[in-house]
Amino acid sequence: MLESLPSTKPQQPTNHHPFTKQSTTTKVASFELRKNDKYYAWLFLGPSLLLLGVFVFYPMLRTFYLSLFLTNNFGQPTVFVGVQNYLNLLKSAPYLASLRATVTYVVGVAVLTLVLGLLLAAMANQKLRGIGFFRTIFTATMGVSVSVSAIFWLFMFNPTTGVLNQIVMFFGGQPIAWLTKPGWAMVAVIVTSVWMHLGFTFLLFFGALQSVPKSLYDAADVGGASAWYQFWHITLPMISPTMFFVGVVTLISAFKSFGLIDLMTAGGPTDATNLLVYRIYKDAFMNGNYAQASTESIILAVIIAVITLVQFKLLAKRVTY
Amino acid sequence: MENVSVQQAQRQRRLGNSLKYFGLVLLALIVIFPFVLGLWTSFLPSMDIAKGSYWSTHLSLNNYVAAFTKTKILRYLFNSLVISTLVMIAHVFFCSLAAYAFVFLKFKYRDALFYIVLATMMLPFEAEVIPNFTTVRQLGLLNHYAVMIIPFLTSAFGIFMLRQAFLQIPADLKAAADVEGLSHWQFYWQVTLPYSKISLVTLAAYSFLGSWNQYLWPMLTTFSDHLRPVQDGLRQLQSEETFNDWGMIQASAAIVVVPTLIVLLIGQHYFKSGLNAGAVK
Amino acid sequence: MKAVQNLFKTYWQVLGVVGLVIIGFSIFGYARTQVQAASSRIKVVFWHEMKGPGQQQLNEFIAAFNKSQSKYEVVPQFQGSYNAVIQKVMNTHGTSASPAVFQSMDISTSQMYHSGYTVPVQKFIDRDHYDIDQIASVARGVATRNGKLLAMPFNTSQTTLFYNAGLFKKYGIKPLPVSPSYSDISRVSQQLYQKSNHQIKGMSVEAYSWLFEQFLSNANEEFANQHDGHTGISTKVNFTGPVALESMKWLQGRAKAGDLMNYGDAKNETAAFLSGKLGLFMQSSADTSLLIKGLGKNLGVTYYPHPDGVKPNGISVGGASLWIANDKSAAVQEGAWEFTKFLVNAQNQAKWEKATGYLAINTHSAKEPVLKKLYAQYPMTKVPGDQLRSAQANYTNSGIFIDGVIAARALIENAMQQIYAGKDVYQSLKTAENSYNKVLKSTNRANGRG
Repeated sequence: MLESLPSTKPQQPTNHHPFTKQSTTTKVASFELRKNDKYYAWLFLGPSLLLLGVFVFYPMLRTFYLSLFLTNNFGQPTVFVGVQNYLNLLKSAPYLASLRATVTYVVGVAVLTLVLGLLLAAMANQKLRGIGFFRTIFTATMGVSVSVSAIFWLFMFNPTTGVLNQIVMFFGGQPIAWLTKPGWAMVAVIVTSVWMHLGFTFLLFFGALQSVPKSLYDAADVGGASAWYQFWHITLPMISPTMFFVGVVTLISAFKSFGLIDLMTAGGPTDATNLLVYRIYKDAFMNGNYAQASTESIILAVIIAVITLVQFKLLAKRVTY
Repeated sequence: MENVSVQQAQRQRRLGNSLKYFGLVLLALIVIFPFVLGLWTSFLPSMDIAKGSYWSTHLSLNNYVAAFTKTKILRYLFNSLVISTLVMIAHVFFCSLAAYAFVFLKFKYRDALFYIVLATMMLPFEAEVIPNFTTVRQLGLLNHYAVMIIPFLTSAFGIFMLRQAFLQIPADLKAAADVEGLSHWQFYWQVTLPYSKISLVTLAAYSFLGSWNQYLWPMLTTFSDHLRPVQDGLRQLQSEETFNDWGMIQASAAIVVVPTLIVLLIGQHYFKSGLNAGAVK
Repeated sequence: MKAVQNLFKTYWQVLGVVGLVIIGFSIFGYARTQVQAASSRIKVVFWHEMKGPGQQQLNEFIAAFNKSQSKYEVVPQFQGSYNAVIQKVMNTHGTSASPAVFQSMDISTSQMYHSGYTVPVQKFIDRDHYDIDQIASVARGVATRNGKLLAMPFNTSQTTLFYNAGLFKKYGIKPLPVSPSYSDISRVSQQLYQKSNHQIKGMSVEAYSWLFEQFLSNANEEFANQHDGHTGISTKVNFTGPVALESMKWLQGRAKAGDLMNYGDAKNETAAFLSGKLGLFMQSSADTSLLIKGLGKNLGVTYYPHPDGVKPNGISVGGASLWIANDKSAAVQEGAWEFTKFLVNAQNQAKWEKATGYLAINTHSAKEPVLKKLYAQYPMTKVPGDQLRSAQANYTNSGIFIDGVIAARALIENAMQQIYAGKDVYQSLKTAENSYNKVLKSTNRANGRG
């Protein structure tokens, strides 16, 4: 989840967005072109380019290449089939079910994380005695990794001894088979994932709320606007860039979910939580079907690339605005 | 009359405040309940947990003793610490070098290269594990620390982020340095890095945590407890028990989570103010 | 600016602490690697997938083996599930990460054979004139190809029916015969459910493909053409034969009647059984020791069920065998062979059966006091072994010799879940069958087998 931290970025002054061509060239152009720049460039840039080439560019091309073949037991491409793998997948009911499950999961996680994160931030943004204590607690899940989250929640979801079923039974309900009934398993992984993302989301929202100029509220107070009105017409518009940003980051992070699924449901029951990345893992590293797994990888990469592009575009727009 | 309305207002405020506190406490409970329960049960005997009796009074440190002696949890922690620290240092180093090149060096195809690097941000690592696995196997890296470090020595995101930071360095500084006859390396080491400390620390924290939270890749590339990092170690512990020894598993989770929580608590104040500073600027 | 400086002060403190911790750990870690390096024995890395009591017993065996001689040191490495280990072996072969000897399950035999990554143990057997007849022939069946033993069976199990005899007695239900038919089981399941006022579920059969496969085996129905792959490369599977349909319709009927409960996974199922909320279920005999710990003499055990009016054909053995990899030096392979022999000797196999419920495959084990005592104290523990010995090995009860059965299993398990949810039996199985036939076709194509 913290992989997404990068994008704390929008908080920082990004005058020089890559897509708003300006500054860099002009600024550096004023420098004298030195002859040995070329060698320094190789020296400084070389290692990064090499690594990105070997571990990011080449594997993408290779994955695409593999997706056009059938692979044998040793993972080697043997029979060229063109786009047949793609056609097969897009006609395959289990794969489409996986796609649907992933969308359910991703949207569920993103929406709930946004709503809850905002709620926490709004509550913590009040002037009350001891509020610092609550702020600290709300960030607590930032320190929790995937495995630990999964263990905590697996324990609570345990059908016989888990605390959640004890609560359900206390109120006279029937115990719920949290992780072994398709619908409930999805609920369980979404809840865990939201909890895990909450601390980070809270922190970003809280920062955004704190940066809304107080004068705006003062003016509204004078005008006699209700708190609700102020929230809708001042707070939300002011923090909407952060909301958008958090939404996209959570979305991408949810698309890449693996550890949680592996530990909690292993894709089950009946493939109900067999999300895209987990399916890739299973097809490649259990079934040994590397061609199919490569095809699934390419589809995943396209989905994520599209979301990232949208993010870039909108961020660029925001910077100029 | 006036007095009455003031009193009323005060009463209302008090009522409002207690409602607010009620909400805060409720939310706080929801957020930390999993921690508290996990921590509490880590002191209980597994037999009691299996019966679902959480109000047991048989508190003891037995689960911790078991976790430390019967499992390799310390080894896992050590592995993670070594891997994450090395990744952090190398990541900051290589990304800053590359970012420097994109900001202060002039060479052919610079912008084109930058866009190419930027494009790699769109490619998810999860979709590339198959060829990457083949690559590290051919390099003979399987089941070594190196396999969890080398692919993560640099990243497009890190380069991008530091480039943004380096662009804030006043052009005059560079001009002055040129007059002084500072070499690129000197300017990089003596001016650029100290000037961008905040961004460097942020990137360091990000890469450390990113490495610490790695799950899929170490799971695919490590085959012995001697090398497993902590996330996969916990997975290992969790899967080895047929009938979960919940007490010990919770203790192991606590051993892993408590240090991060403490660091978070200490750093939190500064982290937040840093974030706010960034936001206000 | 001041705030920024403060920020750094604290960060450096934190980093300083982290640094110190790292140095401390490094010394500790270094010291430990030194200790390990000090041993000059030949290292034999052993991959296994045993959990719980099995792992405990296995670790004891390894400690004993390492103590019994000074030439080799066996290093156990737990690798997770049976499903994951096949590709791990395929992926690491020829690297320093690969094992010298590994445990791999029954249905991986074909893939291991085709990979050419292992040394058939027959080579060592012939060279040493090792008495292979002491190993039960049915157990050897799943790891034999063209009369050659490819791997040494180690943890051999049988699908077994377990019932709670205490509950049967309490509700006055006539116990099951040793080899029950489907309707025998329906009878007791129904009675238990009715007589307990629906408080106790009669039966459970996990949506687990291994159980489906054994329904077919026990009625002599083929899972795939070419006699389950034993006489050539299978090109088609058969999930919709009469026995497949009959068994699944039977289970669906019980689910509809309410006395069959689908617990979702084996863990929940076992927990329900141990707490007296479930009358009978079918799982690996490897669970026996755990169940005895819970139910004691109230545990009932029978053979795996067969359709009414059909003579039981016997079932395939489950579990896993020990494979010796061919990418290690001759000395290491020798160590792996020594270790393999050690694990399957009469005494150890007897201990193994007692500790877990896997069947002692060494025929001399029956004479071991450990087992004699166990059988005397808990006569029902003998049943799975009797079942094994009652079978006459043939094509349908000697495992499935196809590459990539794991994918088929996932499809069958989905079909079973759908059947429990009330979907049409034939349609569910046919969908799985069609899907897997496609997989099989492309696997064969990709591997150059027509």
